[in-house]
Amino acid sequence: MTTGVPHAAAAAATPGLPWPRGRAGFAALVLLYAGLVLLCLGTLVAAGDLNIGRNPWENLLKTLGEFARPSVLDVWFGPERLEYRSDDGTVLRVENRREVEAGFLAAVARATWVTFQIATLGSLLAALLALPLALLVARNLRAPRPLAWAAKGVLDVSRAVHTLVFGLILVGIVGLGPTAGVLAIALHSMGTYGKLFAESIESLDMAAVDAVRATGASEPQVFFHGVWPAVLPQFVGHHLYVWEFNIRDSTILGLIGAGGLGLLISEAVSLFQWSRLATLLIVVVALVMVFDAVSRRIREALQ
Amino acid sequence: MTAAVVLEAVRVRAGARVLLDVPQLAIAAGERVAIVGPNGAGKSTLLRLLGAQLAAEAGRVQVLGRELGPGAAAPLGAAARRALRRDTGLLMQGLHLVPRLSARENVLIGALARLQGAQAWRSWLRWYPPALVAEADAALATLGLAGRAAQRADRLSGGERQKVALARVQLQRPRLLLADEPTSALDPAATQAVCQALAAIAAEPGRTLVSVVHDPALLPLLATRVLGMAEGRVCWDLPVAELSPARLQALYTRPAGEPEAPPRPVAAWPAATRGPTLEPR
Repeated sequence: MTTGVPHAAAAAATPGLPWPRGRAGFAALVLLYAGLVLLCLGTLVAAGDLNIGRNPWENLLKTLGEFARPSVLDVWFGPERLEYRSDDGTVLRVENRREVEAGFLAAVARATWVTFQIATLGSLLAALLALPLALLVARNLRAPRPLAWAAKGVLDVSRAVHTLVFGLILVGIVGLGPTAGVLAIALHSMGTYGKLFAESIESLDMAAVDAVRATGASEPQVFFHGVWPAVLPQFVGHHLYVWEFNIRDSTILGLIGAGGLGLLISEAVSLFQWSRLATLLIVVVALVMVFDAVSRRIREALQ
Repeated sequence: MTAAVVLEAVRVRAGARVLLDVPQLAIAAGERVAIVGPNGAGKSTLLRLLGAQLAAEAGRVQVLGRELGPGAAAPLGAAARRALRRDTGLLMQGLHLVPRLSARENVLIGALARLQGAQAWRSWLRWYPPALVAEADAALATLGLAGRAAQRADRLSGGERQKVALARVQLQRPRLLLADEPTSALDPAATQAVCQALAAIAAEPGRTLVSVVHDPALLPLLATRVLGMAEGRVCWDLPVAELSPARLQALYTRPAGEPEAPPRPVAAWPAATRGPTLEPR
């Protein structure tokens, strides 16, 4: 049975651009998109910016060759006595590759831990900041409109600005190191969390919430009995997802001096040490894969 | 005896269509009233109006001593609205259980408004006084769900959910109980069990029950007074003892747009399928 609220003819004529309906409308949309792609490609070619360098094939083979022998192997198979000589044969320096590489690996382990710290603390901080904002933004919880708009504005800005940009700004404010990384991750992820949390709340079964409210329960009781238990598994799922995302993101943050693996990556790239870069990428991939496996188990258990 | 519900010149409309038009209706505290009538007669609208889930367009609506209608001097404050919700127990189609909470926790939701002070705070963590948990378990046991108390609500069958909702209302201890087709999802055995439990809850002194019922066999169990509705109007208002099958039949077979039409003969129907009767099935 319908309520007393009359629905205005909302589904009738929608003002705006005269756009064909149905199949023709979709075809027009596809044509528009194809035109946009051609425009991008055409202008790039016209400017002569679409090329792949002078000898890409040689470079590719060289890089792949170095990548195929990650520096981590040197710990076991490297020369124990590597002599650096000048042109006339004088020994300049003798190096034990195994020891050097073991030292590098220790540095990688420390940097990995820092990266993990940045991702973990940054994600948690972001989730805590985003939760109250998401409650304001979710339309079905009916927060006061001005507050909802303000919260939505904060979340939109935070999502629009990339972690790296936040990082660059924060390094200038709080100095080099992991603190800037944690804050940069938190500020950007807050927007992502806010959007995901608000969407989970909006997909809630409001009939159950109304049923709790109908018993005369107070608003906090309604929240903790009707809303929280229903959205908690989704919140945990979102948290694990964004956390994993942030582990990848925080490996890059080191590039701008915000600590972690990124610093070593930027060093390896600057010195063309592709074999060391290969080692670092192995670590990053392993980290993400392990985290993904663990988080999938947790999400399944929470269904 | 004080009045639980007083309606005067109440009208509810959706667009141009009149859903409810009640010049005068009073239900005394402690009364048990059933509403019968065909689909679209305004039964659920009336129930939702009494449950403060719907606002009247005109007239005076007084529920449990509180003015709800447009004739009220001032709209109810938040605290008064909460107190009214606490005193009104709803058993309706659309009011679901919380899927991820256990049956026991869903029942305990009914008692949330009864908790005071530190107990109310602790309830935020779903930490309840042991006496209350025992009460919830007893309510579930009465309905034959003793073994299901720890089961999550979304793993219960439709009938079990309806019973849990009933136990939730029982723990709420409302003064006015509004039940919209409380047995619609139940098989005959469960229908009997739920109706007896509902009647037992309503039998507490001072408790008023207003229910929408389609099965005439349940009327004597759930009501002392029956309202026959059609086209948004109350056609007749009788003690259950004076109800005749012919009158019920007339209500359900009344053609649209003729509110005062006399009962139509239905002799052409085979005896076995002839309209509602008052004999138990």
